[in-house]
Amino acid sequence: MAEKNRGGPLQGLRVVELTKVWAGPYVGKLLAFLGAEVIRVESLESLDVTRVYGVSDMNKAPGFMAVNPQKLSVQIDMKTPQGVQLILDLLAKSDIVVENLRPGAVKRLGLGYEAVRAVNPGIVYVSMGMYGNEGPLAYQTGYAPCFAALGGVSMLVGESDAAPEGMNVRYADSTFGAAAAYAALVALLHRRRGGSGQYVDVSAVECMSSMIGDALMAYTLGGQLQRAEGNRVPDMAPHGVYPCQDGEWIAIAASSDQAWQALAGAMAQPALAADAQLATLAGRKAREDELDAALAQWTAQQSAAELAAALQARGVAAAKSHASVDMIADPQFWERGFFLEVQDGEGHSRTALGAAWKMTDGARICDGAPRLGEHNAYVLGTLLGLPESRQQALSEAGITR
Amino acid sequence: MSALKTYKVLELAESVSGEYAGKLLADFGADLIKIERPGTGSPTRSLGPLLARDGAAPLECSGLFAYLNTNKYSVVLDLSTAQGQDRLAQLLRQVDVLIDDHAPGYLAGIGLDPQRLRESHPQLVVCSITPYGQNPPDERRHAEDLTVFHSSGWGFHTPSGASAQRRPLKGAGRFLPSYEAGLEAALCIAAALYEREDSRRGRFIDIAKQDVLASRVDYVLGQMVAGDMDVGTSRNAFDLFGPAGIFACRDGYAYIWMSAPAHWDALRKLLGNPDWMNEFPERWLERECTPPRVAQCRAQIAAWLKTRDKDVVAAEAQALGLILVPVNDAADLLRSPQYQFRGFFREVEHPVLGKALYPTVPYRLSETPAGIRRAAPLLGQHTEERLLSKGSTSHG
Repeated sequence: MAEKNRGGPLQGLRVVELTKVWAGPYVGKLLAFLGAEVIRVESLESLDVTRVYGVSDMNKAPGFMAVNPQKLSVQIDMKTPQGVQLILDLLAKSDIVVENLRPGAVKRLGLGYEAVRAVNPGIVYVSMGMYGNEGPLAYQTGYAPCFAALGGVSMLVGESDAAPEGMNVRYADSTFGAAAAYAALVALLHRRRGGSGQYVDVSAVECMSSMIGDALMAYTLGGQLQRAEGNRVPDMAPHGVYPCQDGEWIAIAASSDQAWQALAGAMAQPALAADAQLATLAGRKAREDELDAALAQWTAQQSAAELAAALQARGVAAAKSHASVDMIADPQFWERGFFLEVQDGEGHSRTALGAAWKMTDGARICDGAPRLGEHNAYVLGTLLGLPESRQQALSEAGITR
Repeated sequence: MSALKTYKVLELAESVSGEYAGKLLADFGADLIKIERPGTGSPTRSLGPLLARDGAAPLECSGLFAYLNTNKYSVVLDLSTAQGQDRLAQLLRQVDVLIDDHAPGYLAGIGLDPQRLRESHPQLVVCSITPYGQNPPDERRHAEDLTVFHSSGWGFHTPSGASAQRRPLKGAGRFLPSYEAGLEAALCIAAALYEREDSRRGRFIDIAKQDVLASRVDYVLGQMVAGDMDVGTSRNAFDLFGPAGIFACRDGYAYIWMSAPAHWDALRKLLGNPDWMNEFPERWLERECTPPRVAQCRAQIAAWLKTRDKDVVAAEAQALGLILVPVNDAADLLRSPQYQFRGFFREVEHPVLGKALYPTVPYRLSETPAGIRRAAPLLGQHTEERLLSKGSTSHG
C-alpha cells in the first residue's frame, strides 16, 4: 500500500525520518534508493535549515533537493501533543525510524525510543549523534569537520612535518549516514528472522575512526603513531599528484615494479628505467624526493587527461584530478546512469545523482525531493486512515499544513 | 546474539574494499569463509603495518590483515586447478553471499558470469566491488585508491581552502576509498538478503568506488549537476568560507567551527570580550564575511589557541556553545573517555601478534551488538575443518 512501487530489495519497507541537514537525510536517501518508502516528518515551526538557508522558496531549495530525492514529506507540528500522537501513529506502521536531532531532543518531544517502542516493539530505532547517544562527551555537538577532527581523520591529511589540514569540509556526514543505514538493515535482518526490534546508536566520530582503522591498528599493535605524509604511502612509489598544464593535476600510483618500469618508459628516461636500485619498492621509497621531482617536471607541460590516457595504455594507474567541471562532464557518470533525471510532484524534470550501485532488479530512481507536506493526504488519509473532516480539522488547528 | 549469525558468506576478495565489506558482515556474526591462494594467501597479508614478532611467519604479521579479517575462517584453495574449482562450486552451494573485489571479468573467468547468475546460482547474492564498475572505459583500467579519489572529485578539492598552486592531497590514510566502498557493499548485501527472505532470489550487486565517493558529496554535486551551483576549475568549489579551520594549540591542534552569531557570541564570552571583536559588525559571519575580516579573526584565534591545551579549551568552548574540538590522533582516541565509555577499542588476542586493542564498529545495537569473537585466521587455519572434512551438503 505504498504511495509508489519502484521495485528494489527494500520495496514494502517503511522508513520515517526525523532528520535534519545531511547525515540523517542521507540514511533515508540510501534506503529510498534501495526501494523503501521513506517519509520525512517535517515541522514548519522547526524546518530543516537546508530548506531555507539562502533560498526564497523552501520547496525549491537546491541543497535539500540534492539529498532528499525519492522521499515523501508530511508536515506535522512536532511541538504539539496532537502532532506527536500523529507521529507515533505513523511509527506504529513503520519499520525503521531515523533521528539526528540535537542530543536529547527526541526524548523531550516524547518521541524517544521508549515511547516509540511502546507503540511498535518491532521498530528499528536509529539514533545518530556526533559522539553517540550516551557517555561523558555525548553532550558535545559539532558539524562534519568536527567529526573528522575528533575521529582521527583530519590529523592524517596534510604535508609531512606541517600542521594537519584535514579532509575537504564536506567530508563525514554522508559516511556517517551510510554506516547508520547499514546498521539499520542489520537490525532489520535480525527482526526478519524472528528477533525483536532494537535501538541503534551511531557515533559520527567513530564512523570517522572506521575510515582509518588500519592506522589505529598500527598504533595499538606496534606503537607507530601515523602522521600526514603528503601523498605518500608505504606500499607504492611513486604515489602522488603532479602538476599539469593550465592548473590541472594528475594522480599517478606505481602499483608494482612492472608499473614503475612502464612509467619510466613513458617518461623516456632510460637512466631511470635502467637504474637497478629503482627496480624495487624499497629503492624507490629511498629516492622518492628525486622521483617526485622528476615526475613533476615531466608532467608540468602536459594535458592531465591525455597523459592519464597514455599512462593507462602502458598499464599505469593514473587519473586526471577532476575539478567540478570535470565531474559534471565525466562520461562514465552519465553512461553508468549515476547522473539521471528525476521528476518532482509538479512534473518538472531535474538532473540528480543516482545510486552508487547497479543491481539486479534495483529500485527505479525517478522522483525528485518532496515539497513540504506534499504527501499529507497519503500519510494522514491512506496510512493513518483519518477521515477528511479530521484532516481538515488538524490543518485548521495548524497541527498539519 | 549476533544479527547475521544465520548467514553464510564466501569471500573471494583479496584487497581492502572486499575484505572490509566481509568484516562488516562477519563482525555481526555472519559465518564467513575467506578463500586464500596457496603460498602467499591474501595480498593484504603482505601489507603493513608489519609487526616484528620473533620467529613468526611473515604472512601472519600484518596489522592490516589482522584488522580486516576478524571473525573469518581461512580456507586455502587453488582456483587455478580443477579440484580447486570443484571445491569452490561445493562451497557456493552452501553460502548465501559471495564477495569479490577483483577486476571486472574475474568472476566470469571462474565460472560466475554476472550475466548468468540467475540461471547458474539463482539464490546467491554476489557483490563485486571495482574502481569503476563492471564496464570501465579503457582509459580507467588501472586504478588505485589514490587515482579513484581523484577521478571522483574529492582529490582536487582536498584540503579545503587550498590555493591553486598547492598540490592536492590524497585524503586520510591509505584506504579511505576502499573503506567507503566496502561499507556501501555491506549495505547493499544486507538489503539483498532482506528481500531474499521472501523471494529466495539472489542478486548481482555492482559497486563502483568512483560512484560511492561521488555520492558521498551529493549535497554539492547534486546541486552542480542540476545547474544550481557553479562548476569550474576552482580548487575551492566545495568549500564553505569563513574563519573555520584547524589551529595549533600548546599540545596539538584544535578545529573551530564558526558560522552563526551564537558562535561569535560564545567566542566573545570565552575570550572575555576582547577589543578586537568589537571592531567587527554584529552578524558579520552571515552577512559581511569578507576575506580581510576572516584573516583578522583567524589571526586572533591562532594567537589565542596556541597558548591553550586542546581538550581543556574544547570543554570550555562546548560549555558556552562554541563548536571547538580537539584534532585527535590514535593515542588521543585510546585515551578518549567517550571511546572508553562506548568500548570502541576491544582487546583481541591473536596467536602470533598477541593481545592488542582493536577498533570496532561505530554503531551500538541494543539487542545484537557486533563483536570480535575471533582474531583474524592464520593462513589456511580452517581448510581442513571447513572444506576437507565436510560433505557438500546443500544449504537450506
